[in-house]
Amino acid sequence: MSSDVPLLSMRGITKRFAAVEALVGVDLDVHAHEVVALVGDNGAGKSTLAKMVSGVLAPDAGFIEIAGEQVTIPTPTAARGLGIATVFQDLALCENLDVTSNLFLGRELRLGASRDDSRMEQIARQVLRDLNSRIPSVRSPLSSLSAGQRQSVAIARTLIGSPRIVVLDEPTAALSVAQTAEVLVHIERLRDLGLGVILISHNMTDVRAVSDRIVVLRHGRNNGTFDAAAVSHETVLAAITGATSAELTPRSLPPLSPLLR
Amino acid sequence: MSRRAAAAGSQSSLREANRVLVVETVKRYGGLTQVELATATGLSQATVSTIVRELLAAGVVDTANTTRSGRRAQMVTLARRVGLAVGVQVGHRSLRVVLGDFTHEVIAEQSLPLPAGHRVDTSLDRVALLVVDLLERVGATLEDVVGLGVGLPAPVDSSTGMVSVAGLMPGWDEVHVGQVLSKRLGRPVYVDNDANLGAVAESTLGAAREFGDSVYVRVSHGVGAGIVIGGQLHRGAGGTAGEIGHVPVRFPGEPCRCGNSGCLDTVAGATPLLGGLRDSHGVLALRDVVQRANEGDQRCAQAVADVGSLVGTVVAGLATAVNPQVVVVGGELADTGEVLLRPMREAMRRHVLPNQLVPLDVVGASLGTRAEVLGGLVLALQSTDVPLRVDADEVGLVEQA
Repeated sequence: MSSDVPLLSMRGITKRFAAVEALVGVDLDVHAHEVVALVGDNGAGKSTLAKMVSGVLAPDAGFIEIAGEQVTIPTPTAARGLGIATVFQDLALCENLDVTSNLFLGRELRLGASRDDSRMEQIARQVLRDLNSRIPSVRSPLSSLSAGQRQSVAIARTLIGSPRIVVLDEPTAALSVAQTAEVLVHIERLRDLGLGVILISHNMTDVRAVSDRIVVLRHGRNNGTFDAAAVSHETVLAAITGATSAELTPRSLPPLSPLLR
Repeated sequence: MSRRAAAAGSQSSLREANRVLVVETVKRYGGLTQVELATATGLSQATVSTIVRELLAAGVVDTANTTRSGRRAQMVTLARRVGLAVGVQVGHRSLRVVLGDFTHEVIAEQSLPLPAGHRVDTSLDRVALLVVDLLERVGATLEDVVGLGVGLPAPVDSSTGMVSVAGLMPGWDEVHVGQVLSKRLGRPVYVDNDANLGAVAESTLGAAREFGDSVYVRVSHGVGAGIVIGGQLHRGAGGTAGEIGHVPVRFPGEPCRCGNSGCLDTVAGATPLLGGLRDSHGVLALRDVVQRANEGDQRCAQAVADVGSLVGTVVAGLATAVNPQVVVVGGELADTGEVLLRPMREAMRRHVLPNQLVPLDVVGASLGTRAEVLGGLVLALQSTDVPLRVDADEVGLVEQA
């Protein structure tokens, strides 16, 4: 909730690639039990910002706080250690493995010297049930699943290891309406489980359906933060396309924490 | 499923439990291959195969050949009997679609979150696509569908299928919802108010099944009611019967979407409810309030209880006019159970004419938040003329010509 300390707080994030200003002084807050949508045109800096949260890129300037503590996120492993899980657009799943193996990829549970398959299957079932997922069997090979079911597996994978923040990069791109519906229900479920969710999407209908706040990026800068239940479609589009600028739209970010002042 | 009691622990009780497990699993996933059924239920392939054969003979399931990972497989779905019907509920923040057959058995369902103030063109497009996707999920086509029942959160003139009061759903009151969908899908579409559909479902399948006269009250983003008299839904001349969300309760009051002011919706709807919790809890969704009230959050529970008292006072007036045997309460806020129901019941006891012979009962919807969408299903089935000779024990059903 807005009165709490944010789970994730980014302030003044700046990143340059040679002459390209990918991000300039960007602020982003994500609270527990909140879905924050990150929207903007191609090249607005959404994925760059997400990659910093997930430890793939490091900012040139700015601060990142997790639950009020300043942190650096040098690697994806470090991000995972801080309770941040990411689903990238390509999902990064293995076709030839079954659902359980995909969920635990690189984090297999061990029992002595061997894999603890029965416990992994048990946790896999539990996680899929938590999500109300429609995947029939944790032993199904990934190759037999639909695009929507694969997205479910990728989202379920984020729940392994009890994360606090989940980053989803375009989770509904190229899905049918029924599959989109399932993914959106999963996102609501993640939020109801008390997680903070960062949702990157181009689909304004999906974004406004499940997010609590919408953060607009334009040319690597903040261009407005909106209450998703109250803002109109047109207002968000205007901020994305630059018809309105951040100076004209009210910002609802809370003040800097005393530590950063 | 009717379950005859067999001695616990006996062979036959085990087989019966397995049969129920298989049916429940098929129902949950819509359609599964026998191999998937075995892994999903934890039963052996042989057991699944035997049970599927029995269920097929009893007309409970259908099987069809399909392929999975390039191999031939037997797809198992619940039997479609004579045809399928579709129930659709368009809400303020979500869309629900169910597929069911003439036994009212739901064989597939999906909900989809919607944005606030969603657009009529986008949402109807999504309804049509979602229906087709769900049919595909259970291996059926539009040909199998006898009709669709669609619920809207506004009064509907059921003869035209249009929203009958302008301003309640901006953008929707100009559109012939039934015609748009029936043209798109090529099947008959019946449109009605969501609370009316809830009333239909609860009086056919739910808590009001044993009563001729009942009132269904839906407490969600807005408040509405459906009135059943002598087993028949009473819609009123223009479809606005039971629109208790627009009964004035404050003089003078806040302006309402309907054009009046001080309506029940302006004090007991989601906007004032969430607005009242904003200072203490920040921005909440309606289901957050339900979740927190159930977890013991005092302020959220009190806010829900206040809604219960307000709604109860207005429903008392309706109950005096209609004199129902039971008031069934549904909608999202009814998921808080007695948190909503107790103050509502108390307000009604204070305000309704006491009747010693037939005391009025106030109960929660036994179909829960699915009442409205199931009502859509029932409406579509009831509106379809099919001479039915379907019995669970009857083998070899006659397809209608």
